[in-house]
Amino acid sequence: MSAVDWYLTLATGLFCIGAYGVLARRNVILIVMSLELMLNAVNIALVAFADFLPGAAGRGTFFALFIITLAAAEVTVGLAIVVANYRYSRSVQADEFSEMKG
Amino acid sequence: MTAAGVVTLLPFIALTLSAVVVMLAGTFHTSHRLTVGLTLGGLAWTLAMLPVTAARGGRQVTELLLLDDYTLFFIGLLVLTTAGVVLLSYGYLERRESHPHDYYTLLLLATLGGATLVASTHFASFFLGLEVLSVSLYTLIAYPRLHADFIEAGVKYLVLAAATAAFLLFGMALVYAELGTMSLNGFALLHVTGGGAADTSLLVGGFVLIIVGIGFKLGVVPFHMWTPDIYQGAPAPVTAFVATVSKGAMVALLLRYFRGVSLNPHDTVWIVFAAIAAASMIAGNLLALLQSNVKRLLAYSSIAHLGYILVAFLAVGRTAAVAVGFYLVAYFVTTLGAFGVVAELSGAERDADRIDDYRGLAARRPLLAATFALVLFSLAGIPLTVGFLGKFYVVNAGARSQLWWLLIVLVATSTIGLYYYTRIVVAMYVEQPQALPSAPRPARLGAIAGSRASDAVLIVVAGLVLFLGIYPAPLIRLLEHVVAGLP
Amino acid sequence: MHTMIVLIPLLPLAGFVVTLLLGKRVLSARPEVVSLAAVTASWVLSMIVVAHVFGAHDKAIDFNLFTWVSAGSFHVQWGYLVDSLAAVMLIVVSTIGMLVHYYSIGYMRSDGGYYRFFAYLNLFMFAMFTLILANNYLLVFLGWEGVGLCSYLLISFWFHKKSASQAGKKAFLVNRIGDWGFTLGLFLIFTTFGSLQFGQVFAKVSLVSPGLVTWISLLLFVGAVGKSAQFPLHVWLPDAMEGPTPVSALIHAATMVNAGVYMIARSYPLVSHSHTAMLVVMIVGTFTAIYAACIALTQNDIKKVIAYSTISSLGFMFMALGAGAWVAAIFYLFAHGFFKGLLFLGSGSVIHSMSGEQDMRRMGGLRKKLPLTFWTMLIGALANVGMFPFAGFWAKDEILGGDFSAHYYIVWAVGIVTAFVTALFMFRLMFLTFWGENRASAEVQRHIHESPRVMTVPLVILAIPAAVLGLVVGLPPDGGWLHTFLQPVFFNVEKEHFAWAGTGGGLMALSLVVVALGISTAYVAYLRRPGLPARAAARVPWAYEASYHKFYMDEFYNAAVIRPVMGFAMWLWAFVDVRVIDGAVNGLAWLWGAFGRVLRPLQTGRAQSYAFGVFAGLFVLIILIRYFWGA
Repeated sequence: MSAVDWYLTLATGLFCIGAYGVLARRNVILIVMSLELMLNAVNIALVAFADFLPGAAGRGTFFALFIITLAAAEVTVGLAIVVANYRYSRSVQADEFSEMKG
Repeated sequence: MTAAGVVTLLPFIALTLSAVVVMLAGTFHTSHRLTVGLTLGGLAWTLAMLPVTAARGGRQVTELLLLDDYTLFFIGLLVLTTAGVVLLSYGYLERRESHPHDYYTLLLLATLGGATLVASTHFASFFLGLEVLSVSLYTLIAYPRLHADFIEAGVKYLVLAAATAAFLLFGMALVYAELGTMSLNGFALLHVTGGGAADTSLLVGGFVLIIVGIGFKLGVVPFHMWTPDIYQGAPAPVTAFVATVSKGAMVALLLRYFRGVSLNPHDTVWIVFAAIAAASMIAGNLLALLQSNVKRLLAYSSIAHLGYILVAFLAVGRTAAVAVGFYLVAYFVTTLGAFGVVAELSGAERDADRIDDYRGLAARRPLLAATFALVLFSLAGIPLTVGFLGKFYVVNAGARSQLWWLLIVLVATSTIGLYYYTRIVVAMYVEQPQALPSAPRPARLGAIAGSRASDAVLIVVAGLVLFLGIYPAPLIRLLEHVVAGLP
Repeated sequence: MHTMIVLIPLLPLAGFVVTLLLGKRVLSARPEVVSLAAVTASWVLSMIVVAHVFGAHDKAIDFNLFTWVSAGSFHVQWGYLVDSLAAVMLIVVSTIGMLVHYYSIGYMRSDGGYYRFFAYLNLFMFAMFTLILANNYLLVFLGWEGVGLCSYLLISFWFHKKSASQAGKKAFLVNRIGDWGFTLGLFLIFTTFGSLQFGQVFAKVSLVSPGLVTWISLLLFVGAVGKSAQFPLHVWLPDAMEGPTPVSALIHAATMVNAGVYMIARSYPLVSHSHTAMLVVMIVGTFTAIYAACIALTQNDIKKVIAYSTISSLGFMFMALGAGAWVAAIFYLFAHGFFKGLLFLGSGSVIHSMSGEQDMRRMGGLRKKLPLTFWTMLIGALANVGMFPFAGFWAKDEILGGDFSAHYYIVWAVGIVTAFVTALFMFRLMFLTFWGENRASAEVQRHIHESPRVMTVPLVILAIPAAVLGLVVGLPPDGGWLHTFLQPVFFNVEKEHFAWAGTGGGLMALSLVVVALGISTAYVAYLRRPGLPARAAARVPWAYEASYHKFYMDEFYNAAVIRPVMGFAMWLWAFVDVRVIDGAVNGLAWLWGAFGRVLRPLQTGRAQSYAFGVFAGLFVLIILIRYFWGA
């Protein structure tokens, strides 16, 4: 296994842990944290690939910066909605959000 | 970036500046009417900038954005639709929000995200557009804070959109690792040539992950499950926005960069999309059949409509691309009309989403009932409406490429569709109201103006449904010009 | 002339819009005036156009207004075609349409949705005119869907009756199956011929492989089977009787249900090219004719009897089309529109006077109380059973003669039997309704009255063509005015002509005998009053002898004819119609719903289960893609 494969394995692992968190956690704040984990897994992969790809092709790093910025925006808005809901229902449990179905 | 680049980017600059102006105006606690006026002015300004950019010819601005006629056409479509949504929101928010100003800023930003998506030529601008759109939508969906449904819908959309965006990103990273480029053009070439990279497993994985991200935004099976809940939970004008602008921008992107798929019906990717299209048509129509909630019904039907669009997407040739464009326009017009009626009927407590709300509507609000009936017939594909011609072009494109199985599914499932749409029409025209829960015509001045605004939108929608249904030639010519650059 | 043709469908459309928008407020005193004016004007224009077509013989008017749909090299025009076939349809549709509008003033006056009713009728007229005047299949399809939609709206017009909305639903579902066939037929036509315009399609028929022509014809026929209520898609028509009676007369007897027959006749150059398709059309038509006639025997609801009779008559028309007797089929359609419209409107007048009663077992003796209704319906019934010299006689005779001359002897024999059964059930209806004692409650009896003038005048007007149409356009048989008129449309029909005095006359005589036999059987079975023989016997012994023998005859009739026929008919209705076909339709609806119900629980409302759905979908896609990649 080459070095880049190790990075890829690490990224995939983190991504899967994040995905598992999104599926399994009941607390919305923890779900948002798991989402962050998934995005950061992608960042690791991107930076690693950028480093290993030759020349001008290796400009993936700037994409990682994009993602960091946008992830911050996403978390801010996400937590704001969670807070709004907490004011309304005094709960942060994901299961509570299942009034609409069928 | 050069000065020429700045001129080319005028539509984007106009949209961004409008958003800033509307936000600043909001901090001064101006009237709702002024905010709406400023928003519409900003949209009109953006629209006016489109011909300026078009006159300079198609241009690539940095690596990220391309503003050719194709992009400009779709930006125009998105901006016009947003203007419709703004007019619908006016009366809706007037009835239930004390502080509606930021809503319009968010709407403009979401439109900006959609426009970026349409113009993107690079993974970065693709993701940027997608996120600007999504993050604005989280807030828009949960904007009227005093209702549990809106917040529930906002949280669901947040979790799912963010998770699928992560999938999309991971897919992009994998494709980047394999191809060494982040340009969407390089990606499109990959389809045209049908793969060919030595180690394909990363590419396959990356590709499927990107489909997840796109499929989520389009709301197609199996990534469709959010649609009914968000459609039901979001405020009706926002639902209209989600259904049109957010999906339409993604269709435009798909049509530009994934067209290579249609060239080879034995290609794996082709089969994947065909399976998605068939599953969407079937599941969407069957689930809509059981709905008595109008907003959910429209959600399921939108899943089916995206399935129809994919059928044309999978067909070869210029005609097929025109068919996608035409169907998209038809879908935009009719969806805006449908949710416009829902928004206009919604009171301060809840949205008018039960089928009972529509019983005997023809007697109470003839204009609303007539528009809704027309729009539903269009969605059902009854002749003389734009929806019929849309379906006709899709079928025509499919038949030319001999996609018989998909066409049989299309025809069979759309006959089911006819049933549930007509049921609403019958409720409006043949049945009598059960208890007459009619929301009285609003008394406040602003609310009356809001009502007028949505009436205006609905009249324009009804006119377009009929006009394009009877005389589609001008739009077809425009679309033929616009898609001329596609493969 | 072109402007007039354009105005014929346009006026009712304008009437629809105006009535719907202004009917409630502005026109509240007389909400029907606008729609009446529109159909009346359309009728006048239609007559002028028909006169023109008749005058300019052999010159069809075919013109395009504008390009409706264009995709690449493929264009569909919005255009009209008026040839002699369309002219015949125009006479039927505009005349009966107008009369039904006037009749509805009386029939629907007391109904809550009075103005809506007229608006929908006008919309229907627009769609029907578009259907018959179109010069391409796509425009026909527009009219086709339009009449279906109006029919759906009008059947469930009395939505508060659960059965009415159920019936509307069933009509809708069954017609979907037919429309599915029609739609596929359209696709096949335009992929095969590259056009949907009649002229362009028909010009290229001989260049296309016969198999393809057969498929196209059969798919179009599937559409016709749905719209014209042929076996097994006929189940919607009897149920559609839940709608107001003028609707039944207009849509379900005289116009919409004929659309299937018209479409097959219009596609004559296509369909006549395929022997297989012709055979299928004939077999389905023949079977439906006898099948529906048998079921009509068992019905007690006066409108359902006429509904099954309509199905049977439509079967007759398809039988004629399939046997190659094209003109005879249109002749029958022409006559049938009038006499069946008359029968429906007459039954409406009966129901109206009986305070809404539809069960013939609670009628009787209305001959004296409703003289005008009685006499006009008698003419309609005689025309329907094919009694000389009424309209139905000539048309039916031409059809049976056509079967015979084409050597379809079995079909001919079935036709003769059907004629017998038709006479039997039609006069069962007449005897039960108009003769004998009235069996209604005293309350209802007190209110029996002849219908208002606005309802009886249309009956009288319709009775005239029902009586004399055959004499005017059908003489001499197989060579009358109608034949000459329709010659340009069915240009290539080869047919063996009988000598008027030889086989032709013999066949005519035979069918008359059969009809007489049917009527007399009905007389014996439904009018013979119990107790009469006994009283007669007490008074005059020789008469007792006679009536004893008559009684004996009755017994014979009962054992040999009535009981087996009725038993068989009962079985057809109770088992085949209600169980098998209705069951299949309901089953199909249930099945769709069931699929939906399977999918529905997946929508749990929890974001995480949706995320799980995304994962599952991803997994499926990966498997799919791994499976096919590199394959």
